[in-house]
Parts: sequence; structure tokens; C-alpha cells
Amino acid sequence: MPLDTSAYSLALLRVDGRRWNELRRIHAQIRTQAAADGSSYFEMGHTKVMCVVNGPSEPGPRRGGTAAAAPGGGQSKDAEVAVSIVVAGFSSVDRKRVGRGDKRILELQSTISSALTASLHTHLYPHSTINISLHVLSQDGSLLAALINAATLACVDAGIPMTDYVAACTAGSTSTYAANDESADPLLDLNHQEEQELPGLTVATLGDSDRVAVLVCESRVQVGRLEGMLAVGVDGCKQVREILDRVVREKGRRMLQEGTVEKGVGLDEMDMD
Amino acid sequence: MPITIIAPKQVRHPYDAQHDIASDSSSDVDSDDSIAGGADLEGDISMKSRPSKKARTGGAPSTASKFDIVTPGEVITDDPQWMRGHGTYIAPATSSIISSVAGTVTRTNKLLSIRPLRARYTPEVGDLVVGRIVEVQAKRWRVDVGATQLASLPLSAINLPGGILRKRTETDELQIRTFFAEGDLLVAEVQQLFQDGGAVLHTRSLKYGKLRNGVFVAVSGMGGGGGVVRSRRQVWTFDAANDGGQIDVVLGVNGYVWISKHVETPEGVIDKTAGITNMEENISATMYSSQNDRIEPETMREIVRVRGVVTALVENGLRVDEDMLMRGYHEAVEMALVSNDGQDDVYLGGERGEQLAAALTGI
Repeated sequence: MPLDTSAYSLALLRVDGRRWNELRRIHAQIRTQAAADGSSYFEMGHTKVMCVVNGPSEPGPRRGGTAAAAPGGGQSKDAEVAVSIVVAGFSSVDRKRVGRGDKRILELQSTISSALTASLHTHLYPHSTINISLHVLSQDGSLLAALINAATLACVDAGIPMTDYVAACTAGSTSTYAANDESADPLLDLNHQEEQELPGLTVATLGDSDRVAVLVCESRVQVGRLEGMLAVGVDGCKQVREILDRVVREKGRRMLQEGTVEKGVGLDEMDMD
Repeated sequence: MPITIIAPKQVRHPYDAQHDIASDSSSDVDSDDSIAGGADLEGDISMKSRPSKKARTGGAPSTASKFDIVTPGEVITDDPQWMRGHGTYIAPATSSIISSVAGTVTRTNKLLSIRPLRARYTPEVGDLVVGRIVEVQAKRWRVDVGATQLASLPLSAINLPGGILRKRTETDELQIRTFFAEGDLLVAEVQQLFQDGGAVLHTRSLKYGKLRNGVFVAVSGMGGGGGVVRSRRQVWTFDAANDGGQIDVVLGVNGYVWISKHVETPEGVIDKTAGITNMEENISATMYSSQNDRIEPETMREIVRVRGVVTALVENGLRVDEDMLMRGYHEAVEMALVSNDGQDDVYLGGERGEQLAAALTGI
């Protein structure tokens, strides 16, 4: 089904009615699972992802004689970040079975693991493992971005120290590679249909800064268009970070009101003595 | 007939109330720009340099109110007079202290640290903990205490049968599983900490040792966010209502709770027997037994009720300590009396749990 890209130049509206720099509706929750150390639920349009974090904890003795301990865990000085992704069979339109050894899933796992390892202060937890388990409930484009955001939120909920939020989103371009249109507009936050047809990239940044933590581009695009796409993507990441931060603050404020956590001290009170 | 399109109303989330609508309005501004000319690169650059309308707390330390929490990446202070504690880091080549967890600011003199909203238990020397054996090694056990690392319990740090102050022998090493095996629960004290945060436990007191005759509940412990708090008394015995006999409660600081039928204490044994040597023999017979004593149904029912109170307290975000638990227990007994099933009604989940929490907080 070709995407009717000719319509964009007329109304400057995308297939789902958004403008070029609009994010889809983002809804996020933290502490959704009481039994886990940290958990989150993240929606980006119709892409819906659930995340559970367990740890940091030291793995017990390995049963079944799998002596090949995972690198990073065991006796290493830093915590290992183990990511596992489960894609539900009902998550996309065609009911495809995705095996555990699927190469795409493995790549997503290692991308998320390395991005979070760089932000989390893993040196504080020697010989331990942080288990991040992600469940994809519904897919509509920007899957990697949604997974990264959900994992970040769950790690914040688990109270694992980190340098800053890793917030991610996608960016694309309004015309295909074949059209070779140098003046094509960049697009923010691609949905599934746009992701199929148009060149796109996933970018994640560290907090408010412009430091890029993840940059994945799997499609062909003229290098001249890349700069615009990246700039739009980085800006989108900042918007996403604000949304994530608001979710965490709201949860924290509610916990303060309920008296679950003790109130902190203001810095101005500190100045008194 | 012309169709009037009514502009959609702004859905205001409750958490927007205190925050300004800066983020909403700014995205509107951007989209207005785009109507004029689509995406030109200049527009992108202006977006990048768009001033953040939300005032950063770090820029003006005086705005950090005591009701606020800090989130990862937030600058707490630029002032070099403060020292950084847990939950913070210093950005390279600057002197500003930045939060690394979401939580509230605490300080000890000039030390700034962040108490996270929730985190795993961090052991401290002297903590009373309840743990479960996960691994048996040659001269020590590895114990899960809910911390980031397994704690270790050396063979030399337990009371060996046949005399408290007996030296450990090779025979003891060979029969290490007769004391504690995998899956056993025990109550112990943190004796020392390793540099990396790992804990070493000991059970060299008659108060500590293997647990039986009861039920285990895991709730969140010290480290943030409700659960068990460090308090004056972590272990106590009380007389249960409805002929339940006596019940022991052990609140591990790590959030592991043990509720069991009270069995005769060693002090009680001393009164009955002649000398201290007899006492040791009596104790050693039962100290490492995994066999439960007979527990009356009434006692079981009351144990379950206490367990229900613990979980209800946690679900409703209240702290778990002796005072709260005992008040909650008496409240639960009262609630059971007025319910249809009478005293057999031990259910304290859902609405009943909320009712209990409301009665305790006095709202």
C-alpha cells in the first residue's frame, strides 16, 4: 500500500493529521507492578509497551550447569544490564510468531542495553544484574523509541542511579529516497505507515543536553536530509524527556502527600545554619 | 446549513495544575510556525535554541521547596560548599551537584544526598534482617536479604549446637547443610559491610537463627518508599485476640517480615531447668530443626490476620512498624467482629484494606 505522499505538500498534514513536528499522544505511568522493583507503562500513539525492572540483584547459583556466565555479570565490577523483549503475537496487524532468537529483537535488546549501561551508574553495583523485561503490547511505529522510554521510566522507578533520562523518538523525511528531493521536510515521530514508506531514524538523547545516546538509521536517505531529521529528532527527545519527567514528579508528589516518603529539606533552609 | 467546528477543549491532567502550560503552549507555537512554511532548517535551529520556559530548579536554589522531589539529571546546587552523598553525582569539569535518582533531598551537615522514592534495601551494620538461604558453600551460606547483593553468613558466625562458644570444627564444615540448607529462612543481624556494599551476617545470639512455625511476607524495606522502617523494636510478642495464643512478629529492616506462633523462649527454659549446660542441650535440639510444632487453627487464623494487616499497610502506602501493626491488628479484629463471617473473616484486601488504612490514619 503506497503512502500518498503527494497529499502532504497540499495541506502540510500527514496521514494521521499531524503536522511535521508534532508528537503523537504520549501516555506514561510508573509503578504499575507492585511486585517488581520498578515498572512502567508507555504509550506513544498506538505503540504500547510495558516494562518491568528487577534488580540490581546478584544472580543465585546457576542451575542446569550453564557454566558460561554472561559477560558483565558474575564477578565483574559493574552491574550488567540484561534486556529481554517479548513481542506479543497480537501486537501488530499480521499475527507473526516472533521467536526468541529473532535477529531484530536481539538487536533491539543490545541497543537498549548499551544505551542504558552508559547512563546508569552501574559501577555502584558490582557483581549484580539489572533485569529489564519489556513487553510489546501493540505496535504502530517508533518501537525502539517507545522501548527505550519505557525502560528509562522503569529504571527511575526502581531507584537505580543514572546520569540522566534517556529519552528517545524517531524522525523521518517527507519523501522517499528514490524521489531524491533535497527540499523534503523532516518529520517527527513516525507511525507504522510512514516508517514503512519513508526514510527514518531513531534518536535518543541524554536528558536536556544534545548528547546523542542512540542513533539508529536502517533506511537509505540522502546525507543532505540527515541534518534536518536529526535536529527534529533531538528536539522531539527533549519534549519526550519533559513528559517523562512530569510523570515521575507527579508520582513523587503524590507519594509525598500520602506520606509514603518523608519530605526533603529545601536548600534555603540549609542556608540558615 | 453550515457546520460549526468547535475547537477541542484542552484536557488538563491533574499534574498540569502546578506546572504551567508552558510545554503545551510552546508546542502550539511551533505548529503555528509550520503552517507558514513547512520545515525549513532555520526553523529547526530556532526550535533547538528555544528557551526552556520551565524554570529549572537548579538555577535558583531558593525555589527548591520541601514539597518538591528531584529527578535524575536535575542540578541540585552549583554551590561548591556542599559535598555530594548518595543519589548524586558531580558533572565532569564542574562543581554542580546533580541528582541521579528521583527522590527527596536530605542533608547531614554539609553532605547532600537524595533519598530515593523507592530502591532496594541497603544494609547497615546492626540491622536486623530476615533472609533466605540461596546457596550453600564450603564455609559459608549465601543469603538473599533483598539487597543488591547476596549477604554471606560464615559458618563461624552461627551458634553451633552443643555450646554457644564452641569452636567450629571440620565436622561442622562437612555437615553444613544440617544447620541451614537452601530455602531455609533465618533471622540475623548485619555484622559488617564490605567496601562494595555486600553484607556479612551473624546469628550469634539466641534471638537469631532459623525460623519456623510461621509465615513469610516480603514488603519493601529501608531504602525508600513505605514498608518497614528502622525503629526501636523490630521483634516482639503479643497476645492474639480470639484465643489465638501468643504470636511473634519479626520485622526485618530489609522488608522481609516473619509472623509465627510463639514458642517457649530460651529464658523460659532456663527457669525450668537447673543449669546453663542443660539449656544448651535443650536449645541445640530444636535450634536447627525444620519441623513445625503443632499450631492450633485459632493461632493460624490470627497469624493470617496479622499478615493481612501488613499487606494492607503496604498497599495503602503506610509505614510498617510495631505501633502501626498492633493498632492495625486490633482494628482488623474489630472489623472482623462486625462482618458477616465473624472472627473467621481475615480478608483485608481491596476496600477493607482501605477502610483499615483510613481508620489508622484517622481520616
